[in-house]
Amino acid sequence: MNQNKTTQSDFDSAFKKYRTGMQIILEGAKADTGQTPKEVIWTKNKAKLYHYEPMVEKRFPIPILMIYALINRPYVLDLMPGNSFVEYLVKHGFDVFMLDWGTPGDEDKKLSFEDYVLDYIPRAVKKVLKAARAEEISLLGYCMGGTMTAMYAALFPDKLLRNLILLTAPVDFTPDDMGLFGLMTSPKYFNPDHVVEAFGNIPADFIDTGNRMLKPVTNYVGTYVTMWDRLMQGKSMDTWLAMNKWVNDGVPFAGEAFRQWIREFYQQNKLVKGEITLRGRKVDLSNISCPILSIAGSKDHICTLPQAEAIKRVVSSKEVDFHVVDAGHVGLMTGSDARKDVWPTILHWLEPRSSKE
Amino acid sequence: MPQEGNSREPADPMKLWEPWYETASKAWSNTSDGSKQAYVDPFGFYQTWLKSVGNAQEQVQEQLKAGSFGTMDPKEAWKLWFEATTTIWEKAIGKGTDPLGLTTQWLEMMEEARARILAETNIPADPFTLMKQWYDATSESWATVIGDIIGTERFMESSSQFLESYTSLYRTFSRANEEFFSNLQLPTRSDIARVAELVVEVEDKVEQVEDAIEDLEDNYSKVVSSTLDGRFDQVEKKLAAFPTVLQKLTTVDALEKRLDQVERKVDALPAALQKLTTVDDVEKRLDRVESKLDKLLIVLEKIEAKESPKTSKPTTPTPGKAQAAKREPSKGQALPVEAESVSRRTK
Repeated sequence: MNQNKTTQSDFDSAFKKYRTGMQIILEGAKADTGQTPKEVIWTKNKAKLYHYEPMVEKRFPIPILMIYALINRPYVLDLMPGNSFVEYLVKHGFDVFMLDWGTPGDEDKKLSFEDYVLDYIPRAVKKVLKAARAEEISLLGYCMGGTMTAMYAALFPDKLLRNLILLTAPVDFTPDDMGLFGLMTSPKYFNPDHVVEAFGNIPADFIDTGNRMLKPVTNYVGTYVTMWDRLMQGKSMDTWLAMNKWVNDGVPFAGEAFRQWIREFYQQNKLVKGEITLRGRKVDLSNISCPILSIAGSKDHICTLPQAEAIKRVVSSKEVDFHVVDAGHVGLMTGSDARKDVWPTILHWLEPRSSKE
Repeated sequence: MPQEGNSREPADPMKLWEPWYETASKAWSNTSDGSKQAYVDPFGFYQTWLKSVGNAQEQVQEQLKAGSFGTMDPKEAWKLWFEATTTIWEKAIGKGTDPLGLTTQWLEMMEEARARILAETNIPADPFTLMKQWYDATSESWATVIGDIIGTERFMESSSQFLESYTSLYRTFSRANEEFFSNLQLPTRSDIARVAELVVEVEDKVEQVEDAIEDLEDNYSKVVSSTLDGRFDQVEKKLAAFPTVLQKLTTVDALEKRLDQVERKVDALPAALQKLTTVDDVEKRLDRVESKLDKLLIVLEKIEAKESPKTSKPTTPTPGKAQAAKREPSKGQALPVEAESVSRRTK
């Protein structure tokens, strides 16, 4: 906008941008996400298992199964064409699968980690192996999905698990290492039973507020400042819209799983101590012996570095590669830096480990 | 579904909303009064902020009345805004209503922001650009201030109390709503959830059956393939024996050749044998010849014996002497050719 002389077109343009911005704020961001062609090959309750259609000839016989957190949509890994990790792997000849937990309803409030780790994941793994006609698999877990994947790997240390990739996956929940989360989830101030009894499933907004409060200025103000800035400068809004849609598209946390997550993981830090038991089966992370790639973000306030780094000292794998990137919890896998750094790191790590031995 | 034996009167949710409304109103009222019992704004931030906004508004209105705002420089407008908003905070500190020293922090932050923004040569009149500048100048400080507020035990305590009262109230409402609609013989959300649970359970059982069938299929195919494997092994073994048999056949062929050779040799035998027969015949003939020679010798001896008495009285020779005599003729006595040949043959 010209400071000295304002023309009619300047005014129209500014008004249009203002209207667009207000529409986004009031109606929410709209974007076509998760566009990589896929097929649902298995469902269980609300969960769906996707198989992404190959774009090039399959180069690697070992399929990859991605497991995301329970509280967010997994399409952050398949955000939009050109900014999709799934698409990136498929284009490099990998056979990619993804487990989408779906949205739990009131009837699912009793779903627990026992169900997820002992029933859902093993079945999904079996389906993937069958669909890919493979005998081994690589698992990729993101955030809480990484924690769950590690638990699965500890409980099923069979030969079919070839590689384990953990992205910002918390393993150690020592309060001093968790920043503000340590205080927020302290048993002194937070009783998960009260919330579970009141809501059944924990509303997505409740979880989202907790996460946003870790960086309130950035999350509540900064995001929209960026939006206005991009709008006014006429920059592309596609990625911002896709990310904003994803951020506001949370999933309720199944009540029983939430209770376990807060009490046994955050408040009692049982996982790293080997004290978690699922249907009487002890989750001993030292049972994991396959090669591991763990990536964490130095700016991540949801899963801090020490929380992710702990995997190095608890597993018995001979090969544990731990990478730290200058990114936050979500920026780690989206955006141009992810495309230049994190995706190639994963690709180059996986390639030599995804052939038949 | 409505439970039997529930004889309580339907509770009207509106009656429950009333106390909630009162509680909420009281909380906000406490907040604006700066009461220490307020959960939402324990330090009276909202009240202070609202007052600062009101103050700024009044000052701007005064400027407008004076007719100087229309020509006001953006820098001047900013100065006015800062002064109007910070004065009230300074007063708040003076009154001792800043228990955590947060207002002091906020004021410092405002000062920093003012310095940064006013240092710019051109203050943009465009509100969006201005907002961006403002955010860039203040966000870090804001984040620190808010982080400091949230990260305190006192804030956590207040949040905890708020959450506890909120969840408690929410539970009460949910229960009351459930009862109200149950008594009205209307299905409630939890009734539908129960039905959905049953559907999920049925689905789970179908899943288990499907799983079992799949396992069965897999195992059957494994069994079939293992049986086939066994049979293939047998066929393979038999096939593996073929080279040996063929080798044997080759050996037989060789044997045949050798047999041919043997046969040829055997064929040659009669001739050899025939030759041997001829030799035998010769021998017999020789025997006969020898016999004849013996006879002849005897005759000769007899003749000799008849002649010798005429010259000397011969002693009667023993047969050995006679033979020796036969073998050793006297000097100058020549043996007949036939006798000599017999002697050689005997040797």
